[in-house]
Amino acid sequence: MANTMQSHMKKNTLPLVHFFLAFIMLLIGGTLGLLQGLNRGGVFELPASFNYYEVLTLHGILLILAFTTLFTNGYMYAAVRHTLGELSKTVKILAWSSLASFLIGSVLVVWMVLAGEATVMYTFYPPMQASPWFYIGLVFVVLCIWLAGLGIFISAFQWKRRNRGQHLPILAFFAVGIYTLVIFGSIGVTVEVLMLIPWAFGWTETINVMLSRTLFWSFGHTLVNVWYLVAISVWYTILPKIIGGRIFSDTLARLVVILIVILNVPGGFHHQIVDPAFSEGLKFMHVFMSLSIAFPSLMTAFAMFAVLERTGRKRGGRGLLGWLWVLPWGDVRFLTIMIAMISFIIGGAGGIAQTNNQLNQVVHNSLWVVGHFHITVGVTVVMTFFGLVYWLIPHLSGRVMTPFIHHLGMFQTAVWTIGMALMALSMHAAGLFGAPRRTSYTTYGDSATALGWEPYLSFLATGGTLLFFGVILIVYIVAHLMFFAPKGDTPFMDSRVEDNAHPTPKWTENWGLWVIVAILIISMGYVVPLVDLIENAPPGSPPHRTW
Amino acid sequence: MKQFWYGLVLFLFLALPPVRHLLESIMAFHMHMQMPLLFVSGLLMAPFFMKRFKNFFDQWNGSGLPGVILFLVIVLYWMVPKAMDESLEIMAVEAFKFISLPFLAGVPLRDSWVRIGKATESVLLLALAILFSIMAYLYILFESTLCNNYLLVDQKTVGWGFAFFSLCLILYLVLTLFTDQSQYYDEAST
Ligand code: HEM
Ligand SMILES: [Cu+2]
Repeated sequence: MANTMQSHMKKNTLPLVHFFLAFIMLLIGGTLGLLQGLNRGGVFELPASFNYYEVLTLHGILLILAFTTLFTNGYMYAAVRHTLGELSKTVKILAWSSLASFLIGSVLVVWMVLAGEATVMYTFYPPMQASPWFYIGLVFVVLCIWLAGLGIFISAFQWKRRNRGQHLPILAFFAVGIYTLVIFGSIGVTVEVLMLIPWAFGWTETINVMLSRTLFWSFGHTLVNVWYLVAISVWYTILPKIIGGRIFSDTLARLVVILIVILNVPGGFHHQIVDPAFSEGLKFMHVFMSLSIAFPSLMTAFAMFAVLERTGRKRGGRGLLGWLWVLPWGDVRFLTIMIAMISFIIGGAGGIAQTNNQLNQVVHNSLWVVGHFHITVGVTVVMTFFGLVYWLIPHLSGRVMTPFIHHLGMFQTAVWTIGMALMALSMHAAGLFGAPRRTSYTTYGDSATALGWEPYLSFLATGGTLLFFGVILIVYIVAHLMFFAPKGDTPFMDSRVEDNAHPTPKWTENWGLWVIVAILIISMGYVVPLVDLIENAPPGSPPHRTW
Repeated sequence: MKQFWYGLVLFLFLALPPVRHLLESIMAFHMHMQMPLLFVSGLLMAPFFMKRFKNFFDQWNGSGLPGVILFLVIVLYWMVPKAMDESLEIMAVEAFKFISLPFLAGVPLRDSWVRIGKATESVLLLALAILFSIMAYLYILFESTLCNNYLLVDQKTVGWGFAFFSLCLILYLVLTLFTDQSQYYDEAST
């Protein structure tokens, strides 16, 4: 037993190390979140040596760049290994170099922020200028993503060679889509960073601010949808197994992946609705680009309801909603994903509102936006990730979850949900009443408006405190499942398709074509604004240091 | 038949005055959105004509080459900057645009596509890629405006549009030449 155990651990070191590091990032990032929440609630001031904005920069980077990237890589490598078989030597080397690149990059980035040389938030908008080493660190992080993607592509390619004429297993199909999308998304930001580096070294004097912001959001927006794609890979392929059902439609799932990969990148403009330098007409066109992504989401919602209803009816649920109650609400692996999906309906509705020009004016750069993405990322994505933890980590470490950990998990889910609801809803409210985001606690000389935010900000702080306990709990759960739970076998929870399902059409496998179509659509979205931003650019901006 | 209706709706939509106005107000939209979409509407409507006028097509487009040539002539014509200028100013030319791109380029190309062999197909793609690369080169680097109705920066934008378009064509050509695309066809749908 001890032997199989060790071999388990050894065989799965790659994903396990990724998960281990990911949850350390969550622990640190969450602690910083607590500091921010308490500060905004007016509980205390942060010291000048580690001020609010340094904390916020790290919180953003550690959670949305580090935590999500590590988790995705760990999950996707575990999934690809499970569905496509043992990774080849080249792929292993690529995956480990990806991790190494990540570590080098994050050490540089975190070091520079802590040294007070890069208080630029995770968006690092110029003309705020960080130390060049901060940007060089970012290059390594991008490299990490590319290497990980290359490993996945090679695995998929090798599998297709061995299994001619067969469809890539659905999880591997998701993996290919995810890394294709993130690589497309990171091209723009790579160009941006490569312009920022010489500027930060002082070799070039000025920088084109609008161009940089646009390139950044082609990435930032895509990254969001990469997490989303990771999350729905769980909903489509793993959720059915957990509730004892089958995948509703393999074709539909693959179509959604293809659509998201093709349509996504140009959506980045909805983060710049208030930016100058784009014509109204262009912004108008891009509302369509943004909303076009809602379409695959609606398809997903449809498929999810179909799976839930079918399985619920199989479990004996009757009547209009009877199927809903018989679902396994007491199973933490289900509850987490369900809460994630429900919160996506709320977050999605907010997102559709925000992407409209007039409504965006009201909430832009306010705490509303922070509330929005703590629901979408902080619940929809993160809760889906948490849902994986309960079986994927014991599967990899060769252990089984104890009933106690299951109870603790249910409790954690409740704490997280209530905490996020409190925090995010009060952020939405405070934002509507004008509280800006990215601003350390202040009453603006006791102005009446700012004092009106106080009650919401205290709720925010309360929610943040609950969330911090949620972080401690999940980190404990992960550590337990990784190192201390009783030994045993936990199966990988991937589902099969319905027996009477239509065969999936072969054209879905044509990734070469999807890549070309994606290039076409990206150039349709970006050629007009980019040429305009470059050709009609005002004189560039010299660096500014606002801290 | 469904395709025909989609094509017709697209065609009529593009002909709506506000849509026409919006798409023609920006050079890149005019050249890289309106014109290709008109062409696509023709592609979609083609099966209807191919069935209805089967004899005509069999007689005149038996080898598929006449259709390809007609398509190329029309495309070449609309590459001439003056043609676009005129379409903005002379109603007859605008009407000709709405007729030629769907019905003299889209329809014949779809009819030819099933008749020509893979070699001709590749040559055609290559020819288009070369043509668009030349356009890209010209539009990006030319120092004065080629179209009276648009600005120099619009022209550069269109040039970059051509550059990416021909990149996609070349990639597609490589894809069809070096991979077996038939593995992606379903028996049922072919
Ligand atoms: C312990 C849990 C958490 C707490 C208490 C918390 C709290 C906060 C607070 C108070 C802000 C700052 C608002 C501002 O001044 O603009 C913030 C910003 C942010 N949080 Fe969280 N958060 C938590 C978890 C997360 C998670 C799990 C993620 C994503 C995976 C996340 C991503 C972000 C991002 C991206 C920002 C914006 C940073 C910026 O504006 O530069 N947070 N968070
Ligand atoms: Cu976005």
